[in-house]
Amino acid sequence: MLKYTLRRLLIFIPMLIAISLLAFIISINAPGDPVDRLTKAAGNEGGADQQSGTAKKDKEAKRKQLGLDLPIFYFSIGDIASSDTLYKVQDRDHRENLEVLTHQFGNWIAVSNYYHALLSFQKSLQKINIDIIHQQDSSIDKVKSHDLLINLKNNIAGLLTLSKVSLVNSRIENIDEIINNNNIFNAISQEFKLIKEVRKEMELKQTRWKTYIPSVKWYGMNSQYHWWLLGDIFHLKKTERKGIIRGDFGISYADSQPIKDKIWEKVGISFTLSLFSILIAYLISIPIGIYSAYKKDSLADRGLSLILFILYSLPTFFVGTVLLLLFANPDFLVWFPESGIKDPTIWSNHPEWSDSVWDIFNWEKIKHQAPYLVLPLFTYTYGSFAFLSRIMRVGMIEIVSQDYIRTARAKGLSEKKVILKHALRNSLLPIVTVFAAIFPMSIGGSIIIEYIFTIPGMGTEMFNAILNYDYPMIIAFFTLIGFLTMVGYLVADLLYAVVDPRISYK
Amino acid sequence: MINKENKSDIIISSVFGLIYSLIFSFLIIEDVSNIMKLIYSVITVVFVGLIAKDIKSKDENDFTFKLIKKLSFGFLFGWILWPNFGLLIGPIIGFYLASMRKVDATNFSFQKYAWNQFKKNKIAAISLYLLVLLVLIARFAPIIANHQPLYAVYKGEVMYPAFSDEKTTIKITDPVTGEEEKLQFDIINWRQLNLESVIYAPIPYSPGKSDKYNRSSSPNSKQFFQNKKGELLEVSSRFRHHLGTDLIGADLFSGLIHGTRIALKVGLISMGIASFIGIILGAFAGFFGDRDLKMRRVKYYMTIIGLFFGFFYAFGQRKYIISDGFMQNSTEGVIQFSISILIIFTSTFLFRLFSRIISNNWLNTEVTVPIDSFISRGIEILNSIPRLISIITITAIVDRSLTVIMIIIGVTGWTGIARFTRAEFLRIKSLEFVQASKSLGFSSIRTIFKHALPNALAPVFVSIAFGIASAILIESGLSFLGIGVPDDVVTWGSLLSGGRQDSASWWLIIFPGMAIFITITIYNMIAEASRDALDPRLKS
Repeated sequence: MLKYTLRRLLIFIPMLIAISLLAFIISINAPGDPVDRLTKAAGNEGGADQQSGTAKKDKEAKRKQLGLDLPIFYFSIGDIASSDTLYKVQDRDHRENLEVLTHQFGNWIAVSNYYHALLSFQKSLQKINIDIIHQQDSSIDKVKSHDLLINLKNNIAGLLTLSKVSLVNSRIENIDEIINNNNIFNAISQEFKLIKEVRKEMELKQTRWKTYIPSVKWYGMNSQYHWWLLGDIFHLKKTERKGIIRGDFGISYADSQPIKDKIWEKVGISFTLSLFSILIAYLISIPIGIYSAYKKDSLADRGLSLILFILYSLPTFFVGTVLLLLFANPDFLVWFPESGIKDPTIWSNHPEWSDSVWDIFNWEKIKHQAPYLVLPLFTYTYGSFAFLSRIMRVGMIEIVSQDYIRTARAKGLSEKKVILKHALRNSLLPIVTVFAAIFPMSIGGSIIIEYIFTIPGMGTEMFNAILNYDYPMIIAFFTLIGFLTMVGYLVADLLYAVVDPRISYK
Repeated sequence: MINKENKSDIIISSVFGLIYSLIFSFLIIEDVSNIMKLIYSVITVVFVGLIAKDIKSKDENDFTFKLIKKLSFGFLFGWILWPNFGLLIGPIIGFYLASMRKVDATNFSFQKYAWNQFKKNKIAAISLYLLVLLVLIARFAPIIANHQPLYAVYKGEVMYPAFSDEKTTIKITDPVTGEEEKLQFDIINWRQLNLESVIYAPIPYSPGKSDKYNRSSSPNSKQFFQNKKGELLEVSSRFRHHLGTDLIGADLFSGLIHGTRIALKVGLISMGIASFIGIILGAFAGFFGDRDLKMRRVKYYMTIIGLFFGFFYAFGQRKYIISDGFMQNSTEGVIQFSISILIIFTSTFLFRLFSRIISNNWLNTEVTVPIDSFISRGIEILNSIPRLISIITITAIVDRSLTVIMIIIGVTGWTGIARFTRAEFLRIKSLEFVQASKSLGFSSIRTIFKHALPNALAPVFVSIAFGIASAILIESGLSFLGIGVPDDVVTWGSLLSGGRQDSASWWLIIFPGMAIFITITIYNMIAEASRDALDPRLKS
């Protein structure tokens, strides 16, 4: 038994790593730039001076703080044409464009020169101040020059993110035209010439063959994945990040709060709801299963099967919405309240009722909250009735036809004792193991129910995260639920071996 | 296996294949380059020729008839399910069916037996008919529910607006006054025109098209429309919204009908992808187990290196070509993707070929590849994340589109099918016909796909039917929440979510919900009946 547990645990760890890899891959591919999202969340929109020196320096500092100026993984597989310092480029759009350009031309050095030429041109464009020039030479049309300057800025910004040859050429032509026809831009025409030269050089010195040869680049321990998963365990950088291992899921884009705190508040509610629902499902399904097995093929059995089958086929969101329509509708029947899990006015009158779920022994509180939970619980559980009672029924039928049941009956035991004492224990086997498997799924499966009944639990948090494109939150949920499900399966396997002494794993 | 007898068969079938593929390529796929069309035709002809090699019939005379029957079945099948691309798949399926050997030992055929058992279950037979009805509704949805008339005559000009492209513009010269008038199909209000003769679709509304005078109207309420003079009149029963409208006035009935299309499409395509992956992986895992896949060490390493290079060239180096292809249009993207898959196969093949040359002793020792463990680990990892969660997470980071959702639902759902296939193969492995084919010297792949797989498919079929039901459920759940599917696509889930916002509109909740419920029940019934028919031991 111990050997089996150890072996399962040993396999467990690589699977956890695999899940974390999967979650990490998804998080890396999420669109958008984290630094931009977080500065927006903190309320500091860049605005007009987004390209200015100080804003850029702030962004770089923030990037370093988040650990985004590191390579993504311990190693990367690419071709020999691509560069291994690409991760240092700050702007995500620029980075992606440079990748495409490197792939197009195969010569990283030339592409890098091109990029730097473009950047320096952009910088000098920033330095041009129309007002000063106007002061020196008042014959210049201020408005027109402003427009031209903005036009140039747009063009160069576009060039930094474009790679398609036709589009790039048209932008270069635009800039060419503006610079050649307006003397105010003579100062920067040198730099622009440099751009054109570098571009020509890039096209001439193409080495596309390089993109066909694979190569592996090593980056060592200093990679984003390492910091994401393990955090600062060796206290190398002395940052606050603890890594997923210690529960630090990062910072949410929505309000720049650490995700851990946000999740912890809501877990309790979803947890209680799913626990209750599983208990109720068992309480109802087991008797139904036993009864169906006992009166096999009778009218009651067939009727029950039909009803359960219909329940199983009804989608949860349909049933939930219909229940709301029928029982919480001001136009129809108002037996149950419509949304949420508590009434704010009544709640505020009882300051001793805490929000925490661990404090459930307050009878008043339960009485107040119970009506809110009836409809959600029913919607949660009805689907499992069919499933669980069928397992129970099949198990019971198989066991009731066994010989030892015949012996028990022949011995003269009452029917009740035969079924409840002997048959039940053996047929509980699959049920018990199913419990450990269902449990983690219930955390995730409640999104729909929490959405319909507006219950502020983990499901609603995840839903809001999706609406707000809050990727760290989504990935955190993904990882958390993945881990919990794996733990659930492990527990199920172990329970199986414990509950049934016949099973011994060698 | 070409011999004198079936030479004529092969010629006939190849000619058929060539003709249809030419028609298909040049007349039907429009926006694909000519080289691609040629490649398509060549691939199809080769494929058809390969399958036709095995066509054998008891009676030479009815071969052509059988061929035509299977071919037309294939065409119909493909056209109903997937116009355009289906015309490629349909005839291939038809030929495959034609190439299946007739069992002539006894007159007993398992398939016929299972089919009879299935038919005995009354509910299942009804479900099957209802399913055919649903498929027909889905196929002919644009004709059943369309706000444009099917046939209209305006000022002497005969038009078929429902069948023409949205952006058509027609210039009409009035025969009496001689003045010209431009009709733009996407903005004119057909009911206000003075049409000489017109035939409207049975439900004269399109899904998602707002009707500002009838917002949120229930099936029994008064409904209005504005006629040419601008007055508000009550609508005649021909033009009523029989099942009500939603918040913007879009007709519910037409939404339900067009939603059928999407539901069936989602079910079939996601399960198609899932079964493809699941069956192949399950077959290999079950057939070879942990001990039976033996190859020389060199070949094993070369396979891995070949796969690595294959993936590098197929998906690393060609990443931009593939994404450009998808941006252009989905057929181009699929073509580039298939070329990538081809590259993977070619590279693996070449590397394995190369391994034959090596003569080092250590490299030539036989090793066992525990492929069962690999695949089982993969299944476990995929199973450890609840399906809804992984689907929602991936939808969050990719663009919103129906095709992406279908692919994701398929890619997350193959584990059940793989498990069943694996279990069946573990059972079949020890049967005599497998050993017979091994001793005859047939390669493992031939044994798996030609001999063992047809016998292992019974529980897989049941699993697929259940899978389609759950795929439809997941998709409607996603569109109910509002994630994943773009806002302008009308599906049953999105209709239901419209009803949730305004709890007075009971019709928006009940009717789409019943549609989902009925479809899922149909598939569940078919799955249950198939399970009883195919394996009576499982009868519950």
